[in-house]
Amino acid sequence: MSDHKERLDQSLSALMDGEATDMELHRLLKEVSEGSELRDKWKRYHMVSSALKGDAAITPIDYSAAISAAIDEESSHRQSVLAGFVGSAGRFAIAASVALVAVLGVQQLNSPLDSVAPVSEFAGIEQVDEENVGPAIQFPSGFQPIINARTVSAGGNNKSSQFVTPVIEVRQQAERNYSEAQLRAYMNDVMARHSNHAALNSNQGMLPFARLNEAEAAAEKE
Amino acid sequence: MVFLSFVKKIKVAALVAAVLLHGPLFAAQMESAHDLISKMAKASRELNYQGLFTYEYRGNLTSVKLTHAVQDGQIYERMQHMDGVQRNALRRTDNVDCLRTGDMLLRGSAYRLNDQSYARLEDFYEFHIKGQGRIANRQVVMIHVLPKDKHRYGYVVAIDKESGLLLQSVLMSHTGKPLERFQFVDIQIGGSMAELGFDSEASDFSDVALDQGNCIDSNSQITTSASRWSTQWMPPGFVMASHKLVDNQGQESMMFTDGLAVFSVFIDIDKARSLPAIEANLGATVAVLTKAEINNQEYAICVVGEIPRATASQIASAISMSSPPPPSSPASSSPSPSPLTSKSPLP
Repeated sequence: MSDHKERLDQSLSALMDGEATDMELHRLLKEVSEGSELRDKWKRYHMVSSALKGDAAITPIDYSAAISAAIDEESSHRQSVLAGFVGSAGRFAIAASVALVAVLGVQQLNSPLDSVAPVSEFAGIEQVDEENVGPAIQFPSGFQPIINARTVSAGGNNKSSQFVTPVIEVRQQAERNYSEAQLRAYMNDVMARHSNHAALNSNQGMLPFARLNEAEAAAEKE
Repeated sequence: MVFLSFVKKIKVAALVAAVLLHGPLFAAQMESAHDLISKMAKASRELNYQGLFTYEYRGNLTSVKLTHAVQDGQIYERMQHMDGVQRNALRRTDNVDCLRTGDMLLRGSAYRLNDQSYARLEDFYEFHIKGQGRIANRQVVMIHVLPKDKHRYGYVVAIDKESGLLLQSVLMSHTGKPLERFQFVDIQIGGSMAELGFDSEASDFSDVALDQGNCIDSNSQITTSASRWSTQWMPPGFVMASHKLVDNQGQESMMFTDGLAVFSVFIDIDKARSLPAIEANLGATVAVLTKAEINNQEYAICVVGEIPRATASQIASAISMSSPPPPSSPASSSPSPSPLTSKSPLP
């Protein structure tokens, strides 16, 4: 017995047990349509199976040829307009539902929020703007005092945090002909004003105020 | 064969039924997510509540106690930072019925941009109910709010089933990373002004200026005619929610919102000389400072908001002067809209 046949037999057994894969089923169907040897085997397996189960009527009669002949005859009736319409409607329905599933599936896949990062990732977040990969210069000492102020005011607790990063990250291209203090004051001022705007005019209530750190809150009061 | 065609008919019927049923079900779910969002906008304004929430970004965490009450049509709010230096903020809003642009958009009313076009939240975001959860010991519905374009961020929000209050809001980048998070850890809903401790602060509140103005009805909008500045490009869906003319520091400001995201535009003359073109970000808030020279006068234009950096840059570089500056300005008087020379910090 060749390898090929052996494999087909195994596939056939698997199909009997309902464990055949799609690939196996495909191969079996192809083989059955080409020759009767495998078909006979399939019949025998079923007879054996029925006999083992003790089913009463074991009839070695093959209906398959008769059924396919009947289907061939029947085919002329299916040419009616209504049947043709129903047939194509069915195909359309299948296509439509496949398309719907595909659209839904794509939506699900594309939804970035589905992969919501666990909370622990907050610590290490790097905000990367893909559209924008210019040289990011961490402002050396300018905004650092904001963090320091916070650390001091929190009684040194924050100092133990290994995640402390510069609060304000700055990209800069111009020459340094300005004072860092001025820039810091300006940034704090506009961020405070923005939070105030947002709290007043959006529906976030007072939540935007929580974004203000101490330096900005001080800027707000001035 | 009768039997075969019968089977086929059943299959077709089942498929058609599946397709037909699926549509309305899907629509119903979308609608209720959006309903919950508009319910939330109403609840957070009209209910009395007191709670503790945390705000975190990039490993920084602060905790805040928030108290909110409505009495005699006025909204009283107190916000107390629970860590760091002592910080309290009080706010009194004149009219509980005063709806501002953001409220209008969030409540699902079509906001009239002009005679032809309307801005609707659902044109720019998709709303998906993503199941249920528990936050601050309350049952919540989780909703994912996905932006339909690159000009705004998405949110994961949790809305209290019973009251409709917003108990969690996470701002998400386009790559699905959390940028910042508000989350209540404890909240009590209901309670009188006295129970919420507002009575002892009556005098403090009388010192607080009433927040009023910018109330709109469904047919009106904030006028931009008073501004010398105009925006040549605006991310779709954003409308102006407030506008302040030049203050004593020479600063003019505008605020825009699409109902969820907010950004502000500041235009300075005085500070232009001393500041560089720069981009900065604090947590989820980005600030893009550009400099523009119009009629020999240098201006600093700063866009600040919880929006993508690229969008902020684009807005900043698209702001131009729509009418000649007042005579007091050293700039020459050119009657036509001035072209803007923008020095964007972007390459």
